[in-house]
Amino acid sequence: MMGDWQVYWLFLQQGIASGLVTGSIYALLAIAIVIIFKTTDAPNFAAGEIFMAGAYIALYLVIFSQIAYVIAVPVTLGVTFILSALFYRVVLRRIGVSPAVAVNVVIATLGLSFVLKGIVRNTGFGDVPRSFPAVFGADTIQIGDAVLTMQDVAVFALALLAMVIFFVFFNYTRTGRAMRAVGMNPRAAALVGIDLHRTRMLIWGLSGLLSALAAILIAPKILMTADMGIVVILGFAAAIVGGFTSLPGAVVGGLIIGIVENLVGLFVSTRAIVVAPFIVIMLVLAVRPQGLFGGPTVIKKV
Amino acid sequence: MTRASYIVVAVLAGGLLVLLPLLGSGYIVYLANLMLVYIVLALGLNILIGETGQFGLAHVAFYGIGIYTTAILTGRFDVPFLVAAAAGVLLAGSIGLLLGYVSFRMRDIYLALSTFAFGEAMQWVYRSWDAVTNGPNGMRIKPAELFGARIATDHDAYPFILTATIIIIAATVWLRGSRLGRAFRAVRESEPAALAMGVDVRRAKVIAFALSAAYAGAAGGMFATFSSFIHPDSLGFTETILVVTMIVVGGLGSISGAIVGALVLGAVQELLRQAPSYQEIIYGVILILFMMYLPKGLAGAVGNLARRAG
Amino acid sequence: MDPILTIDGLTVRFGGLTAVSNFSMTVARGSIHALIGPNGAGKSTVFNCISRFYSPVAGTCRFDGTDLLSLPPHRIAELGIARTFQNLELFGGISVLENVLVGLDVRGRGHRARRTKEAREEAEAILEQTGLIEFKDEPASSLDFGRQKQLEVARALALRPKLLLLDEPAAGLRNREIAALDRLLVDLTKREGITILLVEHVMQLVMSISDRITVLSFGQKIAEGLPADIRTNPAVIEAYLGREAAC
Repeated sequence: MMGDWQVYWLFLQQGIASGLVTGSIYALLAIAIVIIFKTTDAPNFAAGEIFMAGAYIALYLVIFSQIAYVIAVPVTLGVTFILSALFYRVVLRRIGVSPAVAVNVVIATLGLSFVLKGIVRNTGFGDVPRSFPAVFGADTIQIGDAVLTMQDVAVFALALLAMVIFFVFFNYTRTGRAMRAVGMNPRAAALVGIDLHRTRMLIWGLSGLLSALAAILIAPKILMTADMGIVVILGFAAAIVGGFTSLPGAVVGGLIIGIVENLVGLFVSTRAIVVAPFIVIMLVLAVRPQGLFGGPTVIKKV
Repeated sequence: MTRASYIVVAVLAGGLLVLLPLLGSGYIVYLANLMLVYIVLALGLNILIGETGQFGLAHVAFYGIGIYTTAILTGRFDVPFLVAAAAGVLLAGSIGLLLGYVSFRMRDIYLALSTFAFGEAMQWVYRSWDAVTNGPNGMRIKPAELFGARIATDHDAYPFILTATIIIIAATVWLRGSRLGRAFRAVRESEPAALAMGVDVRRAKVIAFALSAAYAGAAGGMFATFSSFIHPDSLGFTETILVVTMIVVGGLGSISGAIVGALVLGAVQELLRQAPSYQEIIYGVILILFMMYLPKGLAGAVGNLARRAG
Repeated sequence: MDPILTIDGLTVRFGGLTAVSNFSMTVARGSIHALIGPNGAGKSTVFNCISRFYSPVAGTCRFDGTDLLSLPPHRIAELGIARTFQNLELFGGISVLENVLVGLDVRGRGHRARRTKEAREEAEAILEQTGLIEFKDEPASSLDFGRQKQLEVARALALRPKLLLLDEPAAGLRNREIAALDRLLVDLTKREGITILLVEHVMQLVMSISDRITVLSFGQKIAEGLPADIRTNPAVIEAYLGREAAC
C-alpha cells in the first residue's frame, strides 16, 4: 500500500514526464504564434484551426489515400505551409501590417478560423470524432516512477528536433535572419534590402508548418474533431507565460504549461484541466504581463 | 449622417411597431425579439470596442450573467421579474467594472487574450457549477410577469422588448454626444493626448467595460423575457465573435452601423441555423472580405460615398 | 522674476540609462522660454515629466506653487498646463471640432454642465483664431501636416492654459508657416499672458521669439541665458557641432 506522500511523489514525476511530452508540442505551437506576433503585431486567432486543418490533411492522406506516413507528413507540412503563406499573400498583405490595423488583422484571422472549421465540418470528415493512428507503438518505458509510451518518447524527441532545426534556421540562415530582422525593425530591414512582404509570407508559411507538425505529433493522443483547434489556447498560454515576444520563452512556457496541465489533472481533477489555461492566462497578464522572458513593457515614445 | 441615422432608426422602430399586430406568425415575432436583443448586444460591444477602442472579447459572458441571474432569481426565489432583470444588469456591470479595473493597463493583444480567457472561464462556470446553473444541461427560465401581465408568448413579450430597445438606443445616442462619449473616443484615438487633455483614461476604460457589460446583462434580461430555456453551449466565444462581426460589418464606432450589423447578421444566423457548417464558412468569408475591402464597415462605406458626393 | 514653473534637481532614469541629470530651470510668467539641445539631450523627457508620463527618481517640479510630481497625468490639464507632442498626437479619427471640444470638457468640470451650444461656439471661436474653421467637420487625420500641427495648438488652447508646452512646433513646417507660428506665439504671450515653454530645433524661431534659452546636452544643463549669449556660447556650439567647430 502506498502512503500519501509516495502517491504525490509518483504524481509529480508522472506529471513532469507526461508534461514534458505534451509541453514540447505546446512549445511548437507557441513558437508558431510568437513568430507571427513579432512580425504582424497581432495574435493569430486562426492558429488553432490551422493546427486542426493540418491534422485532418494528414489524416486524409494516411487513412483515406493510404499514403505512407513517411510521405504523408512532408506533404501535410508542405500543404499547410503553402496555404498559410497564401493567406498572408491574398488577405493580410492587402489589409496591411501597421499597428493601426492590428484590429483588422485579428478579425481577418478570426474569419480564417471560421472558414477552416466550416470547411472541415462540411467535408463530412469532421462530423465524427476520429482517431489518428499512433506510429511508434504502445510499448512503455519507465523513468523513475513515471511511465511513458514509446510514442510519447518519440514525440518528445521529434518535437525537440524540430525546435533545434528551427532555431538553427532562424539564427544561422539568411532567410531566418531576415525574418528576425523584420520582426525587430521592419523599416531598417527594408532599408537593408530585405523584401518585407516575401519574408512575412514565409513567416506565415513557417508558422503554419509548425502548427501542422504539432498537430501531427499530438493527434494520436487526442480525439480529432473539428473543434480540436481549442488546444491552441494552451499554445497561447505558453506564449504568454514565456513573454509574448520571446522564442526561448515560448519553449520554456510550453514545457511549463504542459507540466502544469498534467499536474492539475493528477492533483485536482480532469474537469479542472479545461479551465486551467484560462486561469493561467488571466493571472499572468494581470500580474506580470511580460511573462518570464519578455522585455519590460515598452512605453510609447511621445 | 447623424440626422440620417436618426431617421433610419425612427422609421425602423415605427415600422416594427406597426407590423406587430399584423404578423400572426409566432416565429416572426420571436425573430423580432431576438433581433432586438442582438441590437442591444451590438450597441454595448460597440461602446467598448468601437467607441473606446478596447478589444474586449468577453461580451457574451456578461449576457450569460444577465440571463442566469434573471432566471435563478425568478425561478428559485420568486423575485419579481423586473427586479431580477435589474439585478442581472447590476451584477453584469459590476463584474465588467472589475474586469476593466484589472485590464486597463493591458495593450490590445494582451487585453484581447485575457478577456477571451475570462469569457471561456465563465462558460466553464456556466457548464460546471451544477448547483447554481444546473450545469451542462442548461436551465429552464420561468415565464415572466411584467406589470401584472403574464408573458406567455413572443407576442406578449414584444412590446416590452421593443420599448426597452428604443430606450437603450436613445440612451446610447445621448451617450455619444456627451462628455463621457468624447472621453471614450479620445482614449481610442490617443491615450497620451487624452491624458494631456485632462481625460482620466483609466476611469474611462473602466466605465466603458462596465457599461458594455451592463448592456449585455440587459440583453440577457430581455432574452429571459421571451425564452424558456438557456443552454451554456450558446454562451461561448463563437457567440461573442458573432457580436464582433455585427459591429465590424456595421462599422466600428457607429450606432446605426451597430444596429444594421445586428439586423443583417442576426438574420443571416437565423436563416442558416439549419446548416451550421455553411454558417461558419459564410461568417468567416464575410469577416475576411470586409477586412480586406470595407475595413470601416457599412457605415464607413456610406460615409465615404456621402463625402465623395457632397 | 515671477516664476510660474520651477524645476529643481530633476533626474530621470530608464533602467540603466540616465536621460536627465540634476536639471534645474525656472520659467518666468508671461515669457517665452526655449529648451534646446542636440537630439537625445533629454528635452522631451523633461516635458514628459511635467506631463507626468514619466516619474523622476529625484528632484521637484512646481507649477504656481503646486507640486506636480504628486499628481497623475490627467490632473495636469486642469491646473492650466497644456501641451503639444513631438510626433503629433491628434485624435485623428474624430472631427477637428471634436478635438477642440475634448479640451473644453475639462474646464466644464466643477462648473455647471456646459450647454452644448455654448461649448460648440467657443470651440468654433478657437478654430477661427487658428484659421481652421473651414475644416471643423473633417476628420483630423485628413488635414495636411501644417494644419495638423495648428490643430494640436488649437486643441491645447481650448484648455485656456496658463502654461503652454510646445514640443518642436516648427518641425516640418515651411518658412511661411514658421512665420505664422512666430506671430501666433508672440500674440499669445502679449495679448493673453500665456507662458510658453518650447522645445525646438529650428533656431531661427528660437532666436526670434525667446526671452530666455536653456540648453541641454546629454541630460545636463550646459548653458542658460539670453538668445544673444547662447548664440555665441562655446559650450553650446560644441554640443551641437562637436569640438572642432568650437575652436
